[in-house]
Amino acid sequence: MVLLLPVLLPLAGGIFVFRQTMEERRNRLALAVVLVTAALALLVCVLPEQRLELLVIQGSQHLALRNDGLAKFFLALMAGIWVPVLVFSFPYIKHEGREAQFLGFYTMTLGALMGLAMSDSFVTLYMFFEIMSLITVPLVLHTPSRISRRAGFKYLGYSVFGAGMALAGYFFVSAHLTSPSFVAGGSLASSAQSHQTLLLVVYCLMIVGFGAKAGLMPMQAWLPAAHPVAPAPASAVLSGLITKGGVLAVIRVTYYMYSPGFLQGTWPQYVLLTLALCTIFVGSMLAYREKLLKRRLAYSTVSQVSYVLFGLLLLTPAGVQAALCQAVFHAVAKDTLFLAAGAIIFATEYTRVDQLRGIGQRMPVTLWCFTLAGLSLVGIPPLAGAISKWYLLSAGLAAQVGGFGVAGMIVLIVSALLTAGYLLSIVVMGFFPGRDFPVQARQEVGPLMYWPLILLAVLCVLLGLLPAGLIDWLGKLAGTLF
Amino acid sequence: MQQGLLLYLIFFPLAAGLAIFPLGKLGSPKLRDLCVQALPLAELLGALLLLWFQGGSVQLPGVCGFGLSFTAGSLRTLLAVLAAVLWAGTGQLCPTYFSHGGDCSRFYLFWLMTLGTLMGVFLAADLFTLFVFFEMMSFTSYVWVVQEGTPGALRAGETYLAVAVIGGMSILAGLLLLQQLLGTLTLDQLSQAVSALPAEQRPWLYAAGGCCLVGFGAKAGMFPLHIWLPKAHPVAPAPASALLSGILTKSGIFGVLIVSRYLFWADLPWNQVILGLGVITMVLGAVLAVFSIDLKRTLACSSMSQIGFILIGVAMQGYLYGENALAAWGTVLHMMNHALIKLVLFVAAGVIYMGTHALDLNDIRGWGRNKPWLKVTFFLGAASIAGVPGFSGYVSKTLLHESIVEYIHMLHHVGASAAPFQAVEWLFLFSGGLTAAYMTKLFVAVFLERGTQEFPPVKSYMSRGTQIVLACGGGALLLLGLMPNLTMESIAQWAGGFLGADHGHAVHYFAWVNLKGACISLAIGAAVYLIVIRSCLRNPASKRPYLNLWPEKLDLEELVYRPFLQKLSFIGALCGRLLASVGEVFVLIGEKILFTRAPARFQPKKDENFGSYGKKARRFLVEETFSFDLILAGIGLMALLLYILL
Repeated sequence: MVLLLPVLLPLAGGIFVFRQTMEERRNRLALAVVLVTAALALLVCVLPEQRLELLVIQGSQHLALRNDGLAKFFLALMAGIWVPVLVFSFPYIKHEGREAQFLGFYTMTLGALMGLAMSDSFVTLYMFFEIMSLITVPLVLHTPSRISRRAGFKYLGYSVFGAGMALAGYFFVSAHLTSPSFVAGGSLASSAQSHQTLLLVVYCLMIVGFGAKAGLMPMQAWLPAAHPVAPAPASAVLSGLITKGGVLAVIRVTYYMYSPGFLQGTWPQYVLLTLALCTIFVGSMLAYREKLLKRRLAYSTVSQVSYVLFGLLLLTPAGVQAALCQAVFHAVAKDTLFLAAGAIIFATEYTRVDQLRGIGQRMPVTLWCFTLAGLSLVGIPPLAGAISKWYLLSAGLAAQVGGFGVAGMIVLIVSALLTAGYLLSIVVMGFFPGRDFPVQARQEVGPLMYWPLILLAVLCVLLGLLPAGLIDWLGKLAGTLF
Repeated sequence: MQQGLLLYLIFFPLAAGLAIFPLGKLGSPKLRDLCVQALPLAELLGALLLLWFQGGSVQLPGVCGFGLSFTAGSLRTLLAVLAAVLWAGTGQLCPTYFSHGGDCSRFYLFWLMTLGTLMGVFLAADLFTLFVFFEMMSFTSYVWVVQEGTPGALRAGETYLAVAVIGGMSILAGLLLLQQLLGTLTLDQLSQAVSALPAEQRPWLYAAGGCCLVGFGAKAGMFPLHIWLPKAHPVAPAPASALLSGILTKSGIFGVLIVSRYLFWADLPWNQVILGLGVITMVLGAVLAVFSIDLKRTLACSSMSQIGFILIGVAMQGYLYGENALAAWGTVLHMMNHALIKLVLFVAAGVIYMGTHALDLNDIRGWGRNKPWLKVTFFLGAASIAGVPGFSGYVSKTLLHESIVEYIHMLHHVGASAAPFQAVEWLFLFSGGLTAAYMTKLFVAVFLERGTQEFPPVKSYMSRGTQIVLACGGGALLLLGLMPNLTMESIAQWAGGFLGADHGHAVHYFAWVNLKGACISLAIGAAVYLIVIRSCLRNPASKRPYLNLWPEKLDLEELVYRPFLQKLSFIGALCGRLLASVGEVFVLIGEKILFTRAPARFQPKKDENFGSYGKKARRFLVEETFSFDLILAGIGLMALLLYILL
């Protein structure tokens, strides 16, 4: 039963947050619900693996939850980052208005994510995936304007269409599965071999469909549309965590339904690797040319989440390990960056990059956090991003994927250079505006906003300095999938 | 003890930097200045203890993912001591240099952190550790370049950062390939792993080495990646330019040495590349320095030229293989000498800048006339770098020269053509001559000529600490130069062990065979000074006699790199947009097919409660016109025609 608690508590608690009209009580309630959920999620993480069957739909299809290794990983990641972003959003959303709506949906989204992480069958996964898509639309749509309405529908359309593709794929695959639950290492029946072509086409479509959430080309367009209009905390979790929901779905399909052995060396692997590499390059390139700060970060997400997909699609244990590592480090760094962007918007209303000249004098703490996260994203040691990049690249070179290892290295290095170009230019401009630039008064945001920022930025450093425990754990997890 | 010492050397400055920053911010500048002078001395003490406690290594497993490992000994210890000496020296200059105001707490933070990271580079026992600290060093030293905040400094900083990032990523690629090929990055195991490498993997080894060379060469200031060097040095504060030039470039050389020594030992094509690049760097740097009329830019170009000399030494070690003592000694000693010389010269330049707030030779002409202390120490540095016998630079240059001569002899011995190496030898002597010429130019301009404006004699134009630093540096150069067999040879023998140098034999530096090269060089230098500099680059009639005749346009960065990168980014963005719009096009087509959009106009009706949509807005004029119908009819006719014909 304990598995159900972190799912139901925020979903129910969100409703109470909605209805609460007193600001202080609402904030306290939201914080309490999220904190308790996070604690429950951690409790689920330490519990031994167990399965909870909720409901039989028809025949062998049922809704079920299970806290296996991968679920624990995503539970901890999502619950861990949800809390500081929530704290940041209290003052931010007060400034934007319509707090109840945002906080309510924000709290409920956590429940959907918890369910997504723990889902044990494709049907459950699909259900929570759609719930997640639907609940997060109001977060994007927060400011009532034409552009944000359009962005919200774009987001919804891409997500639902993508998930629909995946569901359609499941109808084909389910006939060839031995078990409706997820099985580490795949559960393809012996009949699969005789339908290989069909299953591979279906696989490709399913990954492209779920990939929409993770910003995989060709369905990446919702990200740069949705992020600039969403409030900063919403962008932070969309970019850092919701995209990881797509990643989770990709992992479940690839490693828990299909098996890596079935896919290794087949054309979908190469097609999807090509797509991932194209996305990495395109995302970085467009981010480099983008002038709007939050859209620049959105393009950056497009590129960085595809690093994860690249690692996953290598279909080797080292690749999975590196990919999960990158998933964590990207989530931490990107959330820091979006929160910093939010802090800048909060304090100065600046949204374009060229307005940020000399911002380091006004908001040193914010820009320092931005710098650390940015360096991490570029992959400068000893920050976290460098470690995952090293693992990813060496996994790529070691995998038997033809020229994709070297191609991946070249694309990732070019992307890292572009990342340096689009993030460090902001840092340089912000801290070193030049001697003739007028001295600016300090205009830092309040402690509720800068402490979460500092926490996440310090996490970037700590994870980079002492990643050994995490990496070993991920290595073990990746080992179970093969 | 050794382990604690190694950790102390690396992490003490990092921690000290972090501690000194709030100290300066919270308003105790006096204490901060004292710390800046004292902390590097503490570091120097640690480095000297490293001489006492030889060897030792330490591992930090799991840190940064793969664990860091450090070890000391031989060349590493020498470079670590040199770094500490340079920091201690420039630290004495810092408080007075920054006393004119400005926010220097930030500078001190990164100044000390760079010391720690540089120690990490020199003491790294494997290439991963080296990479980690190398990258950190690139970023912490960036702040030095932009410290002054002038437009020139910002632009130079941009170049520096770009080169550093590109170089760093290049090293990353190289190291990943190496790890994939060899299975290890520990220095001690590299040679063995390379010899076990199957021949068909050899091209990959070259690719990996090439990537590393790009990164390390960029930091060293090797052509064609030297672009940051002549720009960053003049704009950085003097204590920083001394370090940039004296020791940070050496970290690049250190990397090149490791790659050459451990991966491509005696590999002919590799050494040809290094030699070629070294010669170009050497000559180009010297020529640029001759043309320059800016004190610090001249010194920066001179650094580039000296890096070229060192690279030639690196290459000659590979050529000479078994009997490489001369080349290895020359390389090591020239690294050491250059660091000390640049310390003296840049500190002197800092003193001159503090007195005049100018660096243009025309503005500082004659400033040093009545300042004997500065004059003598500057002369010691200048004479040493010009390779005047009796000064330390002479010894290392002679060794490098002898190594070329030795190889020419070897080639003669086996009957092969030695023409390319004779050319290298002449270029070597020629560049040595140019070195003498531009140092003479500087010395004459600042200390001998009478300037247009009279500088009144000032008593305290430099602090006591600076005076001591200059005296110690100059004295060391003289001492090393006068007793080379006693001092420099034993250092070289000790440090050459890292490069696998054999024992070698004592060299008679003051024998005519060896003096001949120096004399030729100095003669060329005198000729260049008198003919080119005095008569072509100088107009005695003018108030500003030193002419800047180097065409501004002739700048590799402005001419090639920046336009190239701009074009590349344009093309990349074009491809990116095209690829990114693939999905959008599908969506658009889907929308057209699946949805009939409500027209944009909404007409409220007066007599009813509900409004209604008006007529469909005309979106495309062409769809509604007669000509559009004609086009459709035309297309239909053509299709019919094609059908009939085919």
